[in-house]
Amino acid sequence: MSDANEATARLTVQPGKRVAIWLGTRAPVRTVRWLDGALRAAAKLDPDKTGRVVALAAGSASWLDLASDRARHAGIASAGVPTDLQLDYLGWAQIVAAAVRQLAAGTVLVDEASRPERWIEVAAIAELLDAVQLTHVVKVAADKDVLTASRVLGRQLQTVRVRGPAVLGVRIAGAPVDEYPTPMPSTSMQRLELAQLGLDPIVLGHRAQPPRGSTEPRKTVERVAEHLLVHLAPREVR
Amino acid sequence: MAAVLVHIDLGDAGRPDASSLVALAAGRHVASSWGATLYAAVLVHDPHHPSLGAHADEIAQTSMPSVPGIATTEGALARGGADKIVIAVSRDPIAPLWSAIGNAWQGVVDHLRPRLVLFGADAPSASELGPRTAARIGARLLLRARASGIDDVELRDRDGGYARSTDGGAAVAMIGRAAATEQIADDSDVDVVVLAMPGERDPRVELVTTTPAEIVHAGGAVLVLGDDVASDPVIGAAARRLAELMNAELVGGPDAVRAGTVAPNAVVERITPLAPELCVTIGAAQVDIAGATSVIKIGAAGPNRITAVDGVLHGLADVAQLVKKLEQA
Repeated sequence: MSDANEATARLTVQPGKRVAIWLGTRAPVRTVRWLDGALRAAAKLDPDKTGRVVALAAGSASWLDLASDRARHAGIASAGVPTDLQLDYLGWAQIVAAAVRQLAAGTVLVDEASRPERWIEVAAIAELLDAVQLTHVVKVAADKDVLTASRVLGRQLQTVRVRGPAVLGVRIAGAPVDEYPTPMPSTSMQRLELAQLGLDPIVLGHRAQPPRGSTEPRKTVERVAEHLLVHLAPREVR
Repeated sequence: MAAVLVHIDLGDAGRPDASSLVALAAGRHVASSWGATLYAAVLVHDPHHPSLGAHADEIAQTSMPSVPGIATTEGALARGGADKIVIAVSRDPIAPLWSAIGNAWQGVVDHLRPRLVLFGADAPSASELGPRTAARIGARLLLRARASGIDDVELRDRDGGYARSTDGGAAVAMIGRAAATEQIADDSDVDVVVLAMPGERDPRVELVTTTPAEIVHAGGAVLVLGDDVASDPVIGAAARRLAELMNAELVGGPDAVRAGTVAPNAVVERITPLAPELCVTIGAAQVDIAGATSVIKIGAAGPNRITAVDGVLHGLADVAQLVKKLEQA
């Protein structure tokens, strides 16, 4: 067992009382501000700093280093699943669910603002953990075993109380970040290998999905209109 | 025969949500092409329904519930092209949360075992029910998909995901756009199946309050007007029309408020964090946009902090052209 793994194993936290914050599989698009905000929201769920919050990421080494670095800034321990797999929402959810069980976490926050593909994983993770789900959460606070969360629904804000295991997709901004130092290779992140989580990469490969979509911006009125068509306010079909 | 199932959210007086009707139209095109039966399913609350006994643990076909506006619902769904209407009666109030209606909805899915499940992308329940339904049945998930093709209709999303008649396995799609369907007579005959759903809401989640959301929490579409174009009446009018077409929040800097183009409570600054699904910026708009947001920049004079965009139009006159294109769509 590495030093980092020993450090995590020494944490004396009651199983199911830990909070995991799923940061995803690739670095944020545009800014780390929302990543920081999600981490800060998770840290607030452990006001006594008992070490019961752990940040979780999967993917390439460079992304894991960044995730670990931002978690360290937020005062949160981190765990990472090194893999070069490219999976769909359900494939990643299987990895998250296995890691969450390994980490004995009961509550899972998901940073759903940093990348477009992340919010749909909230439901899949909740399904695999048989947990409550809430998407589009903009505020969360804990009072003993009860979470109070506010979520956006159209132009409304729903406030709900949640008891028991829950997966919450959060879109909470941290402080503005123009630049941040290049992260050093992480030594404090606990590494979780797929085999250690009871997962077989070949089986997971059935949920493989290459990165999709063009990265080139549309540059004509016609192509931009095409992009916006699926966002048009619905009119009466007839 | 394969089943295509469309979830229908209901609005006032039993009127189906407009986005749900878009999904129903897409379902009609797909079902006709695939030779499938099109089911439109609504969840309704009738705590006094006789089939909802405390000990019921199976779905039972039953009599019509006592729900205001149900005839309006039936008529709208029949005109929208449904082959069959499923009315799922729940003893718990209907709210757009998986914890509130997940059990009842899952009962419908289990009963019909559909090959394709559709939601209106902007329907209230879609974000909670769509991905969870997909995860539960192990389906592919398409976001803001649209139907395309004439004889062999398929669903496609803009990331390259698709659902075709020849595919194996199930798919769930959140529909963003569909062509209108053929006119169907008001007196058309459509089968109505009423199911009493066992189970209750998940007691682990309690809805406490619902209040208006602040602009910074806008989750749908946001249009940001730069101060450099705030006093241009032509751009302002085009921006307002574009916002109307997309049901978007129109926000801007202090100059846009002074010009009366945006509301006083819709001021944003360079560091204001926004995480809507879509953001269109016009002129030298400055705002801090989340990575999950799809961004279109129009008429930005030079590079700014908004990167990784999905579309760029350099001329400010393009706003009016874009409005015209979308109005014609």
